[in-house]
Amino acid sequence: MSKTIMIVDDSASLRQVVHIALAGAGYEVVEACDGKDGLDKLDGRKIHLIISDVNMPNMDGITFVKAVKQLPNYKFTPIIMLTTEAQEDRKREGQMAGAKAWVVKPFQPEQMLNAVARLVLP
Amino acid sequence: MNLEKAKQTFIDEANELLLAFEDDLLRIESAPDPERPEIINSLFRAAHTIKGSAGLFGFDYIVSFTHVLESVLDKVREGGLTLDAELISLLLNCRDYVGNLIDALESGIEIDPARDADRELLLVRLQVQLKQGIGDPATVAGTPVVATTVVSVASPEPQEATATREADTVASDHWHLSLRFGPDVLRNGMDPLSFIRYLGTLGRIVYLTTLYDGLPPASQMDPESCYLGFEIEFDSAVDKQTIENVFEFVRDDSTVRIIPPHSKLAEYISLIGSLPEDQRRLGEILLQGGALTYFELEEVLRIQRAEQQVDKHAARPLGAILVEENVVPPQAVLAALEKQKQSDERKSNEHRFIKVEAAKLDSLINLVGELVIAGAAANLLATRSHSPELIEATTSIAELVERIRDGALTMRMVHIAETFNRFPRVVRDVSRELGKQIELSIGGGETELDKSMVEKLGDPLMHIVRNAIDHGIEPEAERLKMGKPVEGKLSLTAFHESGSIVIEVSDDGGGINRARVLAKALQKGLVPPDLVLSDREILNLIFEPGFSTAEQVTNLSGRGVGMDVVKRSIEQLRGEIELESEEGLGTLVRIRLPLTLAIIDGFQVVIGRSTFVIPLDLVIECLDLQTDSELLQPRYLNLRGEVLPYVRLRDLFDIEAPPPARENVVVVQYGNARAGLVVDQLLGEFQAVIKPLGQLFRGIKGIGGSTILGTGEVALILDVPQLIQLASAGERAELTRHLPRHLSVARS
Repeated sequence: MSKTIMIVDDSASLRQVVHIALAGAGYEVVEACDGKDGLDKLDGRKIHLIISDVNMPNMDGITFVKAVKQLPNYKFTPIIMLTTEAQEDRKREGQMAGAKAWVVKPFQPEQMLNAVARLVLP
Repeated sequence: MNLEKAKQTFIDEANELLLAFEDDLLRIESAPDPERPEIINSLFRAAHTIKGSAGLFGFDYIVSFTHVLESVLDKVREGGLTLDAELISLLLNCRDYVGNLIDALESGIEIDPARDADRELLLVRLQVQLKQGIGDPATVAGTPVVATTVVSVASPEPQEATATREADTVASDHWHLSLRFGPDVLRNGMDPLSFIRYLGTLGRIVYLTTLYDGLPPASQMDPESCYLGFEIEFDSAVDKQTIENVFEFVRDDSTVRIIPPHSKLAEYISLIGSLPEDQRRLGEILLQGGALTYFELEEVLRIQRAEQQVDKHAARPLGAILVEENVVPPQAVLAALEKQKQSDERKSNEHRFIKVEAAKLDSLINLVGELVIAGAAANLLATRSHSPELIEATTSIAELVERIRDGALTMRMVHIAETFNRFPRVVRDVSRELGKQIELSIGGGETELDKSMVEKLGDPLMHIVRNAIDHGIEPEAERLKMGKPVEGKLSLTAFHESGSIVIEVSDDGGGINRARVLAKALQKGLVPPDLVLSDREILNLIFEPGFSTAEQVTNLSGRGVGMDVVKRSIEQLRGEIELESEEGLGTLVRIRLPLTLAIIDGFQVVIGRSTFVIPLDLVIECLDLQTDSELLQPRYLNLRGEVLPYVRLRDLFDIEAPPPARENVVVVQYGNARAGLVVDQLLGEFQAVIKPLGQLFRGIKGIGGSTILGTGEVALILDVPQLIQLASAGERAELTRHLPRHLSVARS
C-alpha cells in the first residue's frame, strides 16, 4: 500500500508540481490550500507525511504545525516545512513547533523527493 | 618568598629536566634492555614534574601539552607502546617544543597556543601514538585521552567489540556510521528506520548492529522516546557530505559519526596534498579535502569555544578535538597539518635570503652591462630600418633589459647597517681607552648601497670616527668648563639625496680651529705665506697629504693614515668628502657617494661631433642658452632670477667645430651646488655602462669615465661634481692654472 502525503500550500501551481512529482515516485497525495483546509482534511485518514508552507492565508504554517501536534492521530506524523533562505527565524520557529524537517524554496522536484524519501519511502 | 623568584626556579628546574630528558632519549636506543625501564621511568617523571610545577604557576598551555606527553610516556611505561626510533624523534621534538615554551616564559613572550601550528602537529602526533597501542585495541574506543566532558562517542557496547569493528572499518573498505538518535526523534515524526532505508538508496548497508543498551527496563520505558543507536557498515561511492545530508533533519539532536573507508582516507590525504598553498585554517583544509563536513566543523568549533570559555589556555586545538572525537581520522588531520605547515614555511621562506657568491653577481652585472650595450645597438638599427614592428620589438626588449639591470643592481645593494653595526663596539673601545664618555647614535641603517662600496667604506669611516673621538670630542674636564654635558655625542647617519648616498659623521666636540690649521699648513709649507684662503679652503687643508693637526700623536688616529688617505679612498669610489665645522660646537664630515658603480641612467649631449653623457640623476632641467639679456656675465646666467654659474664645455674640452646657432644649457645639481653646462645638442636618456678610464686619463678634470654607445662609438661620462666646482667662482684660480687658454676665451 502506498504512503499518503499531504501538501499544504496556497499556491495551486506549487501543489500541482509537488503532486505530480510525488505521485510519480509512487506516493498518494492529498492537497490542502491553507492550514485550516489542512486541518479539515486530517479527518482520520492515514497520512504518512505532511509538507506545509509557512506563509498562508487563513491559517499560517506555524499555527498549523502546532495544531497538528495536538491531534492524537497525527502528532507523530513527520512534517516538512517549506522555508526560504532568508527565513532562518521562521525555520527555527517551525522546528520549535514540531516541524523538524525542511526544504528551502525555491526547490527542484528532485530535492523535494530526496527530503521526503529520507522520512518516508513510498 | 617571591613569586618571580619561584618562577625562575621553575624555569631552571624545567631546563634541567629537559636536558636530562634529551639525554635519556639519546641514551635509550643503545641502552641494554634491563636499563630501559628505569630510563623510561625517568622520562615519565620529567614530563610529570614539569606538568606539576607548571600547574602551580598556572601555565596551562604547558600543562595541557605535557599532560599528553606524559600520557604517551605512561603508555610506554605500561608496555602499551614501544619506544622505537620514530617515537623517540617525536619525543625529541616535543622536548624542543617544551623548551621553546620555557624560553618564551623566561623572556616574557606571550604565547597563544591556539595559533601554534607546531603545537597542534605535535599534539596530533602524540594522539596518534596514544590511539595506536600495540596489541591493545581496547584503547581505541571510549577513554578520551584528555579528560574532557564533551560529547563522547564512547560506545555503550562492550569496548572490545566496538574496538574490533572500528579497527576493521579502517581496514575494510567501507564507511562506518555511528548513529545515536536523540530521544525525541520519534516525537518529531522522524523514524530512524526511514533514514536507514533511505541510506540504503545511496549504497549498500553491509552490516548493521542495533545498540539497545540505552533501553531502560520495560516499566520505565517511554514508548514515544527513542533509545536506539546503530553501527552501520556502509559500502558506497558517495562523499561524506552526501552521507551526512541523509541525517540532516536529525543532525541537531542526534550524534552522527561518519568514519571514511580506507580508500577514502588515501583520497583525502592526496586531495589535501594537492590543495593550493595559501595560508588556511586547519578546518578549511580538511573541508576542502572532503574529510570534514560543514556541520562537523561547526560542531567541533562549538566544542572548542566552550572549552575556551572554561579555560583559554587549556582548550584543545582543533586537530586534537577532531581526532579525539573521532570526527576525522588522525591520518587526515596529520596530512592537513603538514599542509598547513608547508604553507606557513613557504610563506616565511619568501622573506629568507640566499647567499650568492659575489663573483657570480659581478659577472651577472657585467653581462647585463653588455646586454645594455648590445640592446642599444639593436635599438639603433631598428630605428634606422624604419620598420615599426622591429622598433616596437626592440623597445619592449629595451624595457625588459632596463628592468633586469635594475634588478641585478639591487641584488648588489646591501644595507649600510652592515658597516654601521661595527661602530658601537669601536666607539666603546676607543672611548674607554681615551677615558671619554661617548654616546653613539646611528641613523638610516636601512639605506642601501652597493656591496663593493660598503666594503671599501669601512676603513675610511673607521678613521673618521676615530678622529672624531680622539681630536673632536674634548676631554671631560674641558667639556664641563664649556658647559657641555660630560657625555660626548657622536652620530652616524646615512640617507639618499638626489642620485647619491650621503653619510654624515658628526660630533659635538671642539670643532676645527682654523688658525691652528692654517699655522700648521704654513709650517709644513702646504700654502704660500701670503695667500688669502676662504674658510672652506682652510678646512679642506686637512685633506692635504702630509697634514696632521694633533699636537700629540696618539696611538689611535696618528697612524700615519691622514685624512688625505680617507679622501683618496672616497674619491676612488667616485665620491666626495667635505667638512663643516663650527668652533666649539662640533664637526660634521659628509661623504657623498654615487648610487651605483656599474651602470647609470645617462643623459646624452653632443658638442661638435663628440657625444658626452651626464648622469641623469644629477640633471635638473634643460634650457636654451639666451645670448642677450640673461647672460649676466660671461660666466653666469640668469635662471629665473637666480644666478647660475655655467661652463661652456666646447671651450673646456677645446672642441674646435664651430658652435651652432642655438646652444643648450643642462642644469645639473650635486649636493647643494648647481651649475649650467653649455652644450650644442640634447639627445636624451640613455643607459650607460660605466667603463673606467685608462690610467693615462685618470687625471683629466671633468671626465669621470667612458661608455660605449649603440653605434659602437665611445662617449665620455662627465664628472658633474668637478664641473660644478669648475663653474663656481671658488675654483677660478685652479681653473686658470689648469686651463688658462679656454678660460680666457670664456672670459672674453
